[in-house]
Amino acid sequence: MTLRKTLLRGLLPASGVLLVVAVAGLLVGAGDIGPARAAEVVLGGGDADARFTVLELRLPRTVVAIAVGVALGVAGAVLQATARNPLAEPGLLGVSAGASFAVVLAIVLGASATTVAPYVAVLGAAAGCLLALGAARLRGAGDDPVRLVLAGAAFSGLMGAASSVLLLANQRAADEIRFWTVGSVAGRDTDDLLAVLPVLLLGLVVAVAVSPALSALTLGDDVATGLGHRPRRVRAAAVTSVALLVGGATAIAGPVAFVGLVVPFVARALVGPDLRRLLAVSVLLGPAVVLLADVVSRLVVRPYEMPLGVMTALFGAPVLVAVVRSSRLPAL
Amino acid sequence: MKTPPKTSPKTPTETPTETLTGMPMGTPSVDVPAPRPPRESVAPPVPAAPPGTFRLATGGLSVLVPLRPLLAGAVLALLLVAVGTVCLAVGDIAVAPLDALRAAVLGSGSPRDLLVVEELRMPRIEAGITVGAALGVAGCLMQTLSGNRLATPDTVGLNNGATAFAVAGIVSSSTSLLPSATALTGAATAAVLTLALSGGAGQRGYRFLVVGLGVGAVFGAVTNLILSRARIDAANAAFAWTVGTLNSRSQTAVTVLEVGLLVCLPLAVVLGRRLNVLRFSDAVATGLGVRVRPLRVAVLLTSVVCAGLAVAVAGPLGMIALAAPEAARRLTGPGPVPVLTSALAGAVFTLLADLIGRTVMAPLEIPVGLVTAVVGGPYLLWLLLTTRTRRTP
Repeated sequence: MTLRKTLLRGLLPASGVLLVVAVAGLLVGAGDIGPARAAEVVLGGGDADARFTVLELRLPRTVVAIAVGVALGVAGAVLQATARNPLAEPGLLGVSAGASFAVVLAIVLGASATTVAPYVAVLGAAAGCLLALGAARLRGAGDDPVRLVLAGAAFSGLMGAASSVLLLANQRAADEIRFWTVGSVAGRDTDDLLAVLPVLLLGLVVAVAVSPALSALTLGDDVATGLGHRPRRVRAAAVTSVALLVGGATAIAGPVAFVGLVVPFVARALVGPDLRRLLAVSVLLGPAVVLLADVVSRLVVRPYEMPLGVMTALFGAPVLVAVVRSSRLPAL
Repeated sequence: MKTPPKTSPKTPTETPTETLTGMPMGTPSVDVPAPRPPRESVAPPVPAAPPGTFRLATGGLSVLVPLRPLLAGAVLALLLVAVGTVCLAVGDIAVAPLDALRAAVLGSGSPRDLLVVEELRMPRIEAGITVGAALGVAGCLMQTLSGNRLATPDTVGLNNGATAFAVAGIVSSSTSLLPSATALTGAATAAVLTLALSGGAGQRGYRFLVVGLGVGAVFGAVTNLILSRARIDAANAAFAWTVGTLNSRSQTAVTVLEVGLLVCLPLAVVLGRRLNVLRFSDAVATGLGVRVRPLRVAVLLTSVVCAGLAVAVAGPLGMIALAAPEAARRLTGPGPVPVLTSALAGAVFTLLADLIGRTVMAPLEIPVGLVTAVVGGPYLLWLLLTTRTRRTP
């Protein structure tokens, strides 16, 4: 596939969708500032109420959703390439749950939420990642993509239950971090984003840097070694980038599952299996998916809002079923 | 099987060698077929009970009772009584175990004990036992049906489906559309969805499970969606459904579950005897004279009814349906599908988990669903990572 084709079939549609949902994210909300009044603000006018809603509430939220989407989409693509498994998804494999549990544990132990959260979450995500990939190397479980997912689901369930028990014991923590048990981007402001931005950027840089070697690795360890790569180091770097990205995203938005599954799935359908093209498209598709889920989650239960994680599960679970049903499953 | 009335039932103490002497099947008699005796003149020889079993014969009917499952059942029943007694005795108001047992069984004792035991703790224990038994049976049937010990009502999305529908019922009408009915509908819907999407329970290995995971995730999201739309008090009432707890469950649902168990348990035992054959491939089972499709449908229905009604009482209580049949199989050894033993083991596990949840962080109470998830999660992981099974096709 040539670069032009990639542009036409992948990047253009993805950026179009992203633009549309980003504007929708500014115009649409659960409150009573309608699209017309919000549009005035976007075009530079509008009254004080509308300006506040759009610029102080919806704009930061949209930016946060974009950051989370980029992180989760890229993390999904990298993790799938590393595990060589189209079902490998940070949420499903328990990486997000590990990050979330780490944050809960830190806060129950007395840390204050915003300052340490990103770093603790990265540690938790790394632990989740290593456990998942370690499990994949164990006695042939790695050959069986589906079993890896089941193990991840079991691990997620375990971490979720453990978090709930911790929160039961500590009501203060429970009020402070209820959102960490279901993902959401509501009510985050730019300060929260700035706290995790270094982590996310670092993860992104590592992901981009490691992608050529990682795509060589999909040919098999022997071939990759012959091509001058070191499989162990490459995998370690890939896991690091996934941990950074998912940890950062979880620190700001809580566990949002299925994004890392849907985005590479759609991207693969658009531009084929090449990792670098996948990454390029995922960078655009990830935020598009998260924003879309966020906008829909504001609309379905007006005047309330639904957690983002619930919406992505509704989108993502059918994709999971589709991937499992497709006969090409173990081929990646 | 016809037996002459004079034969006395074999005692369990008989050694296998003794029983074998009466068996004509062991002798090599292939070369010269003996002339067939006229039908009614000679009574057929009484086949001796195979080793490790015990024949219960009354009149013209007899049934083989395997000994080891019997023993396992007895042990589990004793354990159940023991754990139940502890559950009755332990709590904010301690009651001496013997007093508690007396109050529960005979209904005598000090008014305080009677109040605590009969009004507060008995209903909860009743709910725990019935829910555990139902989940144990459902898990056992489901596992045997799909030939996969990880396939249980909670892993294939049944529990989540039942929960979603039950929550929808509770939230939509405050007077209660009977949660049992809605939960049952939900469990059936989820089962049909998972089966249809994965193309059958057996022979597909783990595909069934992952599709179930997806279906379960959708229903879990639907539950959350309903809860976020609901008025706050209705949502609070329904929140208990999302974790699985035995705290103040509706008595009607328990009664419905008891009736369901009365129907399903005997049915499951009868089905379980035939299910042994389903452990082979479908072709072999058909060759042995089992009509595979109707049997599968019946087993699935029984499993769905048990799981749905149990969820209607306690919410999506995980891991019991996974661990109980596993323990039952360990205890009973190879042989028939351990339906009743699974039920007993499920009841014991549920009561134990509830006891742990009530006591570990007292006065705070951990919902029983969280206890089973925290205790059972590592076990499930271990199962997943250490067992070799068929590859997915």
